[in-house]
Amino acid sequence: MNDLAITALLVLSLFVILGSGVWIGLTLSGVAWIGMQLFSARPAGDAMAVTIWGAASSWTLTALPLFIWMGEILFRTRLSQDMFKGLAPWVQGLPGRLLHTNVIGCTIFAAVSGSSAATCATIGKMTLPELQRRGYPEAMTVGTLAGASTLGLLIPPSIIMIVYGVMAEVSISRLFIAGVFPGLLLAVLFSGYIMVWALRHPEQIPRSTERLSLAQKIAATRSLLPVVLLIAGVLGSIYVGIATATEAAAVGVVGALLLSALQGSLDWRSFRDALMGATRLYCMIALILAGAAFLTLSMGYIGLPRHLAAWIASLGLSQAQLIAALAVFYIVLGCFLDGISMVVLTMGVLMPTVQAAGIDPIWFGIFVVLVVEMAQITPPVGFNLFVLQGMTGRELTWIARVTLPMFALMALGLTLIYLFPGFVTWLPRQMMAG
Amino acid sequence: MRRVLDTLYDGAAGLAALFLLGLLTMVLLAIVSRLWHFMVPGIDAYAGYLMAASGFLALAHTFKRGEHIRVTLLLNLLQGRWRRALELWALAVSTLLAWLFAFYAAKLTWESWQFNDISTGNDATPLWIPQLGMAVGALIFAIALLDELCLEALGRQRPKASAEALRNE
Amino acid sequence: QTKWDLPAAYPATNFHSENLAQFAADVDKASGGKLKITVHPNASLFKAPEIKRAVQGGQAQAGEILLVNFQNEWPIYGADGLPFLADSYDEAVKLWKAQRPMLEKKLAEQGMMVLYAVPWPPQGIYSKKPINSAADLKGVKWRAYSPATARIAELVGAQPVTVQAAELSQAMATGVVEAYMSSGSTGYDTKTYEHLKYWYDTQAWLPKNAVIVNKKAFDALDKPTQDALLKAAAEAEARGLAMSKKTNTETLEKLKAAGMQILPPSPQLKADLAKVGETMLKEWLDKAGPEGKALIDAYRK
Ligand code: NA
Ligand code: NA
Repeated sequence: MNDLAITALLVLSLFVILGSGVWIGLTLSGVAWIGMQLFSARPAGDAMAVTIWGAASSWTLTALPLFIWMGEILFRTRLSQDMFKGLAPWVQGLPGRLLHTNVIGCTIFAAVSGSSAATCATIGKMTLPELQRRGYPEAMTVGTLAGASTLGLLIPPSIIMIVYGVMAEVSISRLFIAGVFPGLLLAVLFSGYIMVWALRHPEQIPRSTERLSLAQKIAATRSLLPVVLLIAGVLGSIYVGIATATEAAAVGVVGALLLSALQGSLDWRSFRDALMGATRLYCMIALILAGAAFLTLSMGYIGLPRHLAAWIASLGLSQAQLIAALAVFYIVLGCFLDGISMVVLTMGVLMPTVQAAGIDPIWFGIFVVLVVEMAQITPPVGFNLFVLQGMTGRELTWIARVTLPMFALMALGLTLIYLFPGFVTWLPRQMMAG
Repeated sequence: MRRVLDTLYDGAAGLAALFLLGLLTMVLLAIVSRLWHFMVPGIDAYAGYLMAASGFLALAHTFKRGEHIRVTLLLNLLQGRWRRALELWALAVSTLLAWLFAFYAAKLTWESWQFNDISTGNDATPLWIPQLGMAVGALIFAIALLDELCLEALGRQRPKASAEALRNE
Repeated sequence: QTKWDLPAAYPATNFHSENLAQFAADVDKASGGKLKITVHPNASLFKAPEIKRAVQGGQAQAGEILLVNFQNEWPIYGADGLPFLADSYDEAVKLWKAQRPMLEKKLAEQGMMVLYAVPWPPQGIYSKKPINSAADLKGVKWRAYSPATARIAELVGAQPVTVQAAELSQAMATGVVEAYMSSGSTGYDTKTYEHLKYWYDTQAWLPKNAVIVNKKAFDALDKPTQDALLKAAAEAEARGLAMSKKTNTETLEKLKAAGMQILPPSPQLKADLAKVGETMLKEWLDKAGPEGKALIDAYRK
């Protein structure tokens, strides 16, 4: 059976199983199982258990449940109200008003967390209920959050950059630095979109309730202090060298508990609720991660992504054609695999081609991170969509639809860094000179 | 029987929460040990084990609370008999997959014991011990799915915590 | 035609992986296309600690493992990581000759066999500050990524820290890690020179990667294919050794060019570390029992 037929069969079985209402994590294992049994001549079960165990117990994942927990604690404090009180006077003047808190919140939190699912869960816990309470349209709150939370990958620290850096033998520190401007670029694009949308739909944005003098604005800004302190504490712990990027999540949990105690909202009940809430939300994601790990293994055995990558490499494309082909390749692959698996399964085959085409490996790293970000929000397998489904109870297809404009903006971002590679390469070059 | 099963799911979830607390403790210990110059060997491995146990042990409870996600587009389009048939199909496939996973998770744990498989890290833990968390969690999850399948087949499905409640949280 | 999967943990560009790719091509040619081995580098199929288990359980027919990783299971694997027991390429080859029969016996009990082993370049000490004696290592934050490196830290009074490979680069940048032991090539691959400026060429030990194969999978091959496989393995062992030596010289040059100071250890440091090595050898012999003694006797013969 050729690759095309195998692909068609697997994609078909994915849609059938998923569409019939089988739980997502189990669906992924089911498709992986079918793929391995039919096309790899290796017994699936034992390999599945080994791989799921390895993925579920890996140290690098520990930041995820901890950040989720941090979000659950903060959700039960006055912190999110405070954050809105502090930000409101400053974003009131912008079209779209408080919708910008999603973008600002995610951009700042991305500097703390290396994963986009954690960014989505933590910021979403704070902004979604607040924005909804204030009457902002859910399609916009959920859509912009899904898009902006992918910045967790582009703004350092970033798990996927570490994975890429090790595979492509590129300096991880330089990759981190290279992600800063493209990350801000995306944030500006998201905010710009909110403004354009708000100008076209003024009736859907709740009216501002008050006009404040500058002194009042500054007074209100003081409410931001707890959030700023928390973020500064977590970031500081990384850059002062107290904690590694993964361990910083634990600093975040302790900081959130402290804040909650200082505000008087920490009692046994809220502690237990936050802990149980975090356990369940993490468990939901863990089941999907387990399925995704098995699907990756199955793909590794069958060799589909590898063959496709090798095929693209064999086409002898020009630099521009190659980049376009790879963008399409990763976007399509990103519909079905999670970002890290995508990189691990294909990079070994593609890296020589990329280097031969004279593409700067740092630039290519940012390119890869961007397409991986897009993979986070493309159905049927998109982790930010899953997190949001878990948090809002909305249908996956609805979430994917309201997120579509963000996908388009990220495609625009991709085009921009292609046209103006300086966005990526300028800052690391300064670092080298310095 | 109902009471026994519910206690099983919730008890495992309580244990999962304790393990999450343990994970936090381990990571904090890693930070503190560096600051105060002592060494706890294999702390990163223990953090990983606790995380895994936490994730797997909470599976059944999370499932019973309706917090595992799936695509319900088609289900919501259907009515009456067809809807029930599709629900039964989805539950049957899920139950089958969950039992497969439970079986192989148990087999992995058993073989780790047989092979004397020891962690390669500084912790040198016999791997069957932490893997037990995965095997037990997967088994309870498989039981919960079978439980749900039976309830659905017998038409004794209890109303789920509504999605609306989730949304307001 | 038989198809095998061979998971490996290191990037495709690492010399071990390149050697594996060549090995797979040789096997393909020598067996007349009857045995096709797909190498899965970069832990893309199984992660480093899972590979031995995957071969043992038959999920992969063959795999590449770092022997010293498995010393918790059986001390003989850990002989590779004893400081100053075998501290040059020639000695590493000698040690492998002594280890191999014992390893073959052990792996046979577990349903596996060993095809070949290739040493990594010799291990030195990366450090932020200059080191003239073991006393200079007191309180230094030292990455303890294996039982052996943790024990060395204890013996010299360094502060052992646990940092995963993925976070090493950032940990060095922020001062969480100030020193660690590894080869020149690992330091070059991880861009250690961006953060730490000194490398002491202590030649402490040369850990080996071994390629192992599931016995049942091997037995299922016909005799000519088996012979082709073993012949290609012997060639890979010789080729790998040469590649390792070449990589060592080249990466040390590249490290120098990147601003790293490549220094020989001072006589004091050498003496201090030798003492550490003696202590660790004694401890290891206690743990490894008569098997360990037999290995050391065979090696020193
Ligand atoms: Na980040
Ligand atoms: Na996707």
